[in-house]
Amino acid sequence: MSEILSKSKASLRWRLGPLWSLASLLLLVYLVTLANSFMGESLQVQLQFALVNLIIVVALQMFIGTTGVLSFGHIAFVAVGAWTVGLLTIEPDLKRSLLSDMFPFLFDVQAPWLVAVFIGGLVGGLLALIVSPFLMRLNGLQAGIATFALLGVVTQVLTYWSSIGPRSGQSMVGIPDVLNLQTTMFFALGAIVIAWLFQRTRPARLLRAAREDGIAAAASGINVVSQRIIAFTISGIVAGVAGGLFALTNRVLQAQQLGIELTFITLAMLVLGGMLSLSGAVIGALVFSVIDVGLVQLQAGVDIGSFVVSIPQGVRPIILGLILVGFLIFRPSGLTGGREIVWPFRSQRQALPGVPPENE
Amino acid sequence: MPTHEIGLQVENLCVSYQGVPAVRGVDLEVKAGEAIGLIGPNGAGKSSTLLGIMGATARTGTVRINGIDVAGLPPEKVVRQGVALVPEGRHIFSELSVLNNLKLGLVGRREKTGIPEAFAEVFTLFPILEEFQGRKAGLLSGGQQQQLAIARSLMANPDIILLDEPSLGLSPTAVDTVFEALDVVRKAGKAVLIVEQRAEFTIAFSDKTFVLHDGLITLTLGPSDANNVDVLTEAYFG
Amino acid sequence: MNQFIQSLVDAISGGAILGLAALSIGLVFGVIRLANFAQGEIITAAAYTLIFTWQLGWFISIPLSIVVAVALSLLMEFTVFSRMRTATPATLLIASFGLSFLLQRVYEMLFTNTVQTAPVGSALAQSIDVGGVRIQMLSVVTIILAGSLLYGLTLFLAKSSLGLQLQAAAADFQTARLIGISASRVIGLSFALSGVLAAAVAFVSTVQTGAVGPSFGVPIVILALVGAVIGGIDKLSGALAGGFLVGFATSMLASWLPQDFSNFRDAYVFGLVILVLLFRPSGLLIRGRGVART
Repeated sequence: MSEILSKSKASLRWRLGPLWSLASLLLLVYLVTLANSFMGESLQVQLQFALVNLIIVVALQMFIGTTGVLSFGHIAFVAVGAWTVGLLTIEPDLKRSLLSDMFPFLFDVQAPWLVAVFIGGLVGGLLALIVSPFLMRLNGLQAGIATFALLGVVTQVLTYWSSIGPRSGQSMVGIPDVLNLQTTMFFALGAIVIAWLFQRTRPARLLRAAREDGIAAAASGINVVSQRIIAFTISGIVAGVAGGLFALTNRVLQAQQLGIELTFITLAMLVLGGMLSLSGAVIGALVFSVIDVGLVQLQAGVDIGSFVVSIPQGVRPIILGLILVGFLIFRPSGLTGGREIVWPFRSQRQALPGVPPENE
Repeated sequence: MPTHEIGLQVENLCVSYQGVPAVRGVDLEVKAGEAIGLIGPNGAGKSSTLLGIMGATARTGTVRINGIDVAGLPPEKVVRQGVALVPEGRHIFSELSVLNNLKLGLVGRREKTGIPEAFAEVFTLFPILEEFQGRKAGLLSGGQQQQLAIARSLMANPDIILLDEPSLGLSPTAVDTVFEALDVVRKAGKAVLIVEQRAEFTIAFSDKTFVLHDGLITLTLGPSDANNVDVLTEAYFG
Repeated sequence: MNQFIQSLVDAISGGAILGLAALSIGLVFGVIRLANFAQGEIITAAAYTLIFTWQLGWFISIPLSIVVAVALSLLMEFTVFSRMRTATPATLLIASFGLSFLLQRVYEMLFTNTVQTAPVGSALAQSIDVGGVRIQMLSVVTIILAGSLLYGLTLFLAKSSLGLQLQAAAADFQTARLIGISASRVIGLSFALSGVLAAAVAFVSTVQTGAVGPSFGVPIVILALVGAVIGGIDKLSGALAGGFLVGFATSMLASWLPQDFSNFRDAYVFGLVILVLLFRPSGLLIRGRGVART
């Protein structure tokens, strides 16, 4: 009798466990946002950017975490998503005067911002889908280089092709101020839910298997490339949405902003949190942003008792860089070690008898 | 103070890979002028034993090279104590010439003298290497590459030579050449430890042969056991 | 016709420099599987050294830049990469990426974002007349410099004991150690050599532009890395060839692309890179569909 009870308890834990990790992540993001809304205006803007970065990191993790393949190019999808939203939300007259070299049909194309964001996501996903049959055959270093080259192509095109945007050296201005912190948070929560759901799908499971042992997976008949295409496309959609939100948050767009530096920051967040788990992505993004905000405050000077503590300009990115490199050396699996947030009443991360481990 | 005896002493050697034990407490000793065989089925831990002795993989237990404990030393330093390994699959540098492969063997040599003599000795043992010295090592046949691998390790003038499956993939004639050379090496006073899968040959050749089974030595055989089918069956399937 | 010869010489020179840069990356990669994105910052350091010490005379400035490059290279190995021996190549790449970012910010802090200038090698920045064709002297010097360095390196690798050890370690690291080759010595050597090559690249680039900023080396290393990978970063000849190809193509495109398209030159190069990786993921010089050791 007790055996049956303990087995049903075990399966309950199995089912609840991952739900708990999802719930705790959502709760975390909600609480951070809540706490922040009591603070000053500038902090709220920084949090909005942080949430956008979080969505990017979640998108990254969806791909890198399941496939084990490095992508240096996800910001390309962010960029096209941002561009799409910019083009769809700036007033036609403004476009006509400032972005005068564009294709005429782009002047009149308009959409409500929410629709624009989703279209941006689709465009990001479309780009991912188009390139993935080629890129997804590659592994390791080659994949990193090829995706990096993709980013290079997109950045160059967006910078110089004045038929779809501003002339080089100029920015896309005039994106309306319609996005508030609350809404951004809901998008972030949505991205986490999508990533969580994706983890449970068959393609994700197959990819994780292939990540662990590529040869065995291929021998079992798994078409790794097709599964990777699916993962890449979905993460491209989420990245595109993040790009749209970036556009609405920053309200000014320049191709330079969506390049190597952003790639570095989002990768750093992912490494910090732990590449292999969704919790890692979320926690990494949050912790990194908190540290970053803290450093900004320190730069401005913070009162502690009767002292004013401040750090010189330019030290902030150095500290952030040191954190990334430090983690890569000493704890490459990140803060979470690649594990998800677990149901606290489980004693250790033991494999339950006869029950497959859910998250890795 | 232990005397500086030439030879290899291994006590309670244990090697594991990510928690899975491959060698579970091996004791053996090889003296100068002795050839010891180590045989066993696949997965018995033979290669791991050799790698553990060389310090190429994490291990516990005591390994003494010429009386000196080599605990914690990386492979390149273990070599300098006077031991050389001829790895499984030969692992010669195929893009480099035969001569350069031999020159690389000199890197682990303790004394800087006697180099021309070393070349002469090696060319006497393996005349084909002298003939092919300018050729890219990758173009040699399997048997010739094995000769090169052994010659390379001899260039370091080690006191102890470890060989991992030297007869692997070799034709019978090639195997003969190799073991003839090993006999010369043994008679010259070196300590030779041969890991092999071909039981009969090794048992007949070596002064003593240990049977390794699932990480432990289960049997010790002498040359006279070479034709004893029952003993051999016991060794491999017991 | 003359214009073609001019652009050809420039392209060979451009290819030579990028080939050297790619080779410097390939040298280290061969031994420890690290594609060092921070190589750009070594180039920048050497460039800054040239700019700041040029007034002391080229016989002080140039050797000093070499010393700085080698020192920084060894420092990177000592502080960061030596602690990551078990990391995958992809992780190492990210680490070098982070290191690159870090160092750029350090340069920003030390030297500000304003470019520093000095008339480095100004004697070389002129055209000479060769059989009726005007050729950039710097291009010729670059080709000679690259050729000599390559020759010296090849000699070193083929004839000296250390050079042979380096080749052995790059081919089969585990076996190299098992025959007594010192891992740390060989790794240090590869970093040092790569520093020397970086200094050469820095010299030519500094003479070309006369101005150095914190991200001076970044565009160079991007193309060099990309070139090395498409040439086949596994082998030194592959890295060199790939780097040369990318440098050559970039230069030719710069000379010949019509005005409207010239801005997209880098985009074309990147596109070319993707194409090559599709058909030859192990690199152009690897025969057949070799399995890349990444």
